[in-house]
Amino acid sequence: MSQMSFVPQHPPPLPPVAATFSGDRGEFFRLTARGAALELVTFGFYRFWLVTDIRRHLWSHTAIDGDAAEYTGRGKELLIGFLFAMAILVPIYLVYALISIEAERFKAFGSFPLLIGFYAFGQFAIYRARRYRLTRTVWRGVRFWMDGSGWAYAWRAMLWGCLVLLTLGFALPWRAAALERYKMRHSHYGELQGRFEGRGWEFFKQFWWLWLLSPIAIVLFPLAPFFYAEFKAREWRWWLGGLRFGAVRLESKLLPTAFYGLYWKVIGWFMLLVTVTGAYFGLCGAVVAMLSDAPSATPAAISRSIPLLVMFGLGYLVLILSLNVVMRLYLQRDVWARVVASIHLHGIEAAANVGAKGDLASALGEGFADGLDVAGF
Amino acid sequence: MDNATEDAAAAGRVRSAIYFDGKSSRRWAVVLAFGEQLEISAEDLSPVLWSYSDIRRVDGAPGMLRVSCLSAPPLARLEIRDASLAAELASGCLRLGENRLDGRSVAKIVGWSLAAVVSIIVVVLFAIPFAADRLAPLVPEPFERRLGDAADVQLKTVFAARACNDPAGQAAFGKLMSALGKSADLDMPVQPSVLATPIPNAFALPGGRVYLLNGLLAKANSPDEIAGVLAHELGHLKHRDSLRELIYNGGTSFLIGLLFGDVMGSSAVIFASRTLVTASYSREAEQNADTFAIDVMQKLGRSPKAMGELLFRVTGKEGNKSLSILAGHPLTEDRLKRMSDLDRPASGPPLLTAGEWSALKSICGPRDKI
Repeated sequence: MSQMSFVPQHPPPLPPVAATFSGDRGEFFRLTARGAALELVTFGFYRFWLVTDIRRHLWSHTAIDGDAAEYTGRGKELLIGFLFAMAILVPIYLVYALISIEAERFKAFGSFPLLIGFYAFGQFAIYRARRYRLTRTVWRGVRFWMDGSGWAYAWRAMLWGCLVLLTLGFALPWRAAALERYKMRHSHYGELQGRFEGRGWEFFKQFWWLWLLSPIAIVLFPLAPFFYAEFKAREWRWWLGGLRFGAVRLESKLLPTAFYGLYWKVIGWFMLLVTVTGAYFGLCGAVVAMLSDAPSATPAAISRSIPLLVMFGLGYLVLILSLNVVMRLYLQRDVWARVVASIHLHGIEAAANVGAKGDLASALGEGFADGLDVAGF
Repeated sequence: MDNATEDAAAAGRVRSAIYFDGKSSRRWAVVLAFGEQLEISAEDLSPVLWSYSDIRRVDGAPGMLRVSCLSAPPLARLEIRDASLAAELASGCLRLGENRLDGRSVAKIVGWSLAAVVSIIVVVLFAIPFAADRLAPLVPEPFERRLGDAADVQLKTVFAARACNDPAGQAAFGKLMSALGKSADLDMPVQPSVLATPIPNAFALPGGRVYLLNGLLAKANSPDEIAGVLAHELGHLKHRDSLRELIYNGGTSFLIGLLFGDVMGSSAVIFASRTLVTASYSREAEQNADTFAIDVMQKLGRSPKAMGELLFRVTGKEGNKSLSILAGHPLTEDRLKRMSDLDRPASGPPLLTAGEWSALKSICGPRDKI
């Protein structure tokens, strides 16, 4: 290990260093609100740039050992990745349609197993999208990167998925641990190789009682957000605690109750916005009823008025976009801030002089993930 | 040490910054000197020269100016935490902010998106109907038949229905269909069947399949009413409407889905816009099938009015219930009016005898439902 055998003993390990998040909440809100408005104007095409802006904000305000990270991905890359993914997905969809016609001839809904193929493709996309994000993450002038095979990962995810189905969810923690081991084994920070040391059994110990209690949440549904928040917090803590890069070890002190407030605030905003939209719909209906001649204004006739439908459509879009802003603010930014603030790193001195290595990966994986509507971390 | 330190000392302070060389994660505490080029130096670092016009701002934490250099390794970074030093460097670098997304680039994104949206709308409104009309006749008949077979298996599962096969009823149904078939002059064999389900409807599938649901039969008062509906379905077969609609629906859902992507609630938007565009397409197909049915009935010397009456009995007056631009069919009252206008006393023989008609009515066995 050490060449300096004349040193009588190793220096004591440095105290753990903290990760910090310094992002301004108002700035993030303005970013997402502007992004939502632009998404409306561009019929959703702005999503590539909005996602990029959000990541740039989160990454650059996250500092480890005093040095802020940087996200070097760009919206244009995501757009090109999406277009390439579409060029590949369209023929696959067509072949899928033709094969499923043949399968349906033999048995009604006989084409259902073909959907499993799409699930595998989704897992592949998740792996490749993670690779894109990781290679766009830079800290201290050195990028993270990933090798390994998306298909090997998809294959593992499928086999573990079967096991989870067979055991009614019991095998979920071991699936998570096994897949994380594969992903982290192939993740690197420069020349430092990553690995994952979280054990399925530890994860299971964290949440088995939630798994048993979950039927109660179906009956007493106000409990469900508590259960979910508790599960997410424990999952984050277990995951972070298992991450290693060389001799660098992560530890998270996230409290299991850390997300309770966030989920309830989202639900509160959700109900408030839906109520406001409902009131707006009622108001529009009343105005249209007053403007049209009173005797013939039956409820049915009012519901057919074109201006009213346009006003309803606008109200609906504004509702959807403001819900998007709320979810991004609480479930992305606030969760991120809490998670980052809970992280301590041990052995950070191992990252003090790491050689740069690794190439950029294309955004094709993100394009697939967008086209297939899958998300993963 | 070197000039930089002396210059800085002359200015009364040390221009210190943090430097990462992009080759390792080593954190260098450096001093800057503003000469012809920006000089970055530290004790055991060979001096690095960055030309001012190559320096670009990149994302950094608040209160920090982080820059890269086009001619340096792509991940080499210089971080300046002192505000006045940052301002000093910024004043020297004229192209510092060039890789930011400014108002003009956002306007460009908006412009291109609108262009893409317009082109998708044009494709949905004009190119896909055109392609569907041209492609449908090119689809080989065996393939169309397979499509029909697949849909047939699925349909029978969904409706949990069996085909009715009372022999006397079958004979009457066969007689009716062959009379219609002769008059319709179809270029493909027709496989008609009656399904035992109380839903009052009838439809045609690719490959010459025509289904009459028993619920409609139960509501009919005369053979002419059923004959009109069946002739309408034969019209769909003749025009290969289900195939055209398949191509059309597939194309439009795909394009509209592409447009809205992952915006939350997009499935509702997709559904709404698809309903709007496909309704107008299928309304046209329905009108053509009605024209065809009227033509067939007139050739047989029977009045088309009966069909309109049956439809009216099933749906009632529709004008108050649904929005006409959203409906896949023309309003029933409009269809009834059109068929009544062409009403003429019957000139041909009745299509079925009274005995055959009652046999057809009980093709699914004695009626206990409806």
